[in-house]
Amino acid sequence: MKRTVDVSVPLGPIHPCFKEPARVKCETKGEYVLSAEVELGYMKKGIERIMRGRPWQEVMFLAERVCGICSVIHNMVFIEALEQISAISVPERAALLRVIANELDRMQSHILANFSYCYTIEHETLGMYLLDVRERVMDELERITGARVTCAYIVPGGVRFDIRSQDVLHLRANLAAIEGEVTRYMRMFESGPLIGLRSKGVGILTREAALEAYAVGPTARASGMPDIDRRLRHPTYKTLGFTPVSRTEGDNYARIMVRFQEVLESIAIIRRCLDLLPVGPIRGGGIPGIGEIAYSGEAPRGELSYYIKTDAAGRVVDISIQTPSIMNIEACCHYMLKGVPSLADVSSTFVSADPCIACTER
Amino acid sequence: MTGFLYEKDLSAMKYVILTSTRHDRMVREIAAELDIPQIKLRKWMLDHFDMMLLENLPARYAQGKIARESETPVEKDLGAGLYTRAIPLLNWSEMERIKGEVYTLIREGKTENEAVMEGRNMIRDVIQ
Repeated sequence: MKRTVDVSVPLGPIHPCFKEPARVKCETKGEYVLSAEVELGYMKKGIERIMRGRPWQEVMFLAERVCGICSVIHNMVFIEALEQISAISVPERAALLRVIANELDRMQSHILANFSYCYTIEHETLGMYLLDVRERVMDELERITGARVTCAYIVPGGVRFDIRSQDVLHLRANLAAIEGEVTRYMRMFESGPLIGLRSKGVGILTREAALEAYAVGPTARASGMPDIDRRLRHPTYKTLGFTPVSRTEGDNYARIMVRFQEVLESIAIIRRCLDLLPVGPIRGGGIPGIGEIAYSGEAPRGELSYYIKTDAAGRVVDISIQTPSIMNIEACCHYMLKGVPSLADVSSTFVSADPCIACTER
Repeated sequence: MTGFLYEKDLSAMKYVILTSTRHDRMVREIAAELDIPQIKLRKWMLDHFDMMLLENLPARYAQGKIARESETPVEKDLGAGLYTRAIPLLNWSEMERIKGEVYTLIREGKTENEAVMEGRNMIRDVIQ
């Protein structure tokens, strides 16, 4: 006779589908997941503690080392917070170059997240296509900033390097190619019957649950919350006439589709920046001084907040970083995974929230 | 192996989470509002909340404070949504019972302030 048993199934901390170590503990009734818990602590860096007492010139480099996937936005939010503290203005050309670097970073992060999802649902072919197109984005990021990951491109009062005219041509050509490829892969994802079976109606996060857990970024936007995008409040983005992507299904499929659509939207934003790029300086100067601020920006995974307190010499006296993955992983384990009909969907639902353990553990 | 495996005792890691700048500020605010010793509140949170919920408490608290503004005056003063949905110190049925008793006290002639203070005592009793 077939018997249904209640068991506690641990996934991880080392799992082939997870990019970083995390333990997902599922309480199950047969295949049905009753509840889930995520345990961390396998890669705690203590980076906030390392930052305290150090001058901003050192903390700037530490900030972008919080996360290797979205390092540009950590750099941007930290520097913009310092600029707000000390009323440092940024030349228009530099502000637009910051947006270009940030959107390229968002594109590669979203493409990597979608690769991870495709890999998890065992659609490796589409996953590998996505990794290939991600390399094009990384090449553009390297061409502009000089590095693929920890670029340290944004400095108080501007950016480190200007974009050359031949780089603009190269970027435009590559954006056209990336747009074509991403559109094609998005259609493959949309129309794949097996992808639909593994993704549609799985891991649903309702709007109410997203609000309760304060989910952010594409995870929240896939549950019908477009106004959660912090870029809507950023002075440079405001001038670019940008509309956030949103969907209402709240399932794995919606989260992946939002990321695909956001890649296309990032391409449009970069093109607009290139069209508007004025001739002028890229660094206005300015030295961070004493002050205290809580400042937020829109990372690829959602709202990234820095609380910074500095002294007169520009040393960071206190700092606290709230990364978007904290909110999204919590929303994932307490809402999305609860009631998942099959254990096979746990890893794919977890990955669909684009969890960054490095950010969460910081 | 003589000691515990890491996964069997997460309290040290949970405590690290709960002593960050944002968490510390949140614990101080809640402890002051409910008149509970901070150390007791921290211990309660360590015992009852899992790791991810602990990490996410400051964001939930900020969101809960915004949502609190749209509640009725008694619910707002009691923190009906804040201490059930955002920071789950109590479950919904316990809060409903406390709210019911507060409304009864108001009907019996106590001022809203006095009734809310009684309600907070009841919340404190549930937590402690």
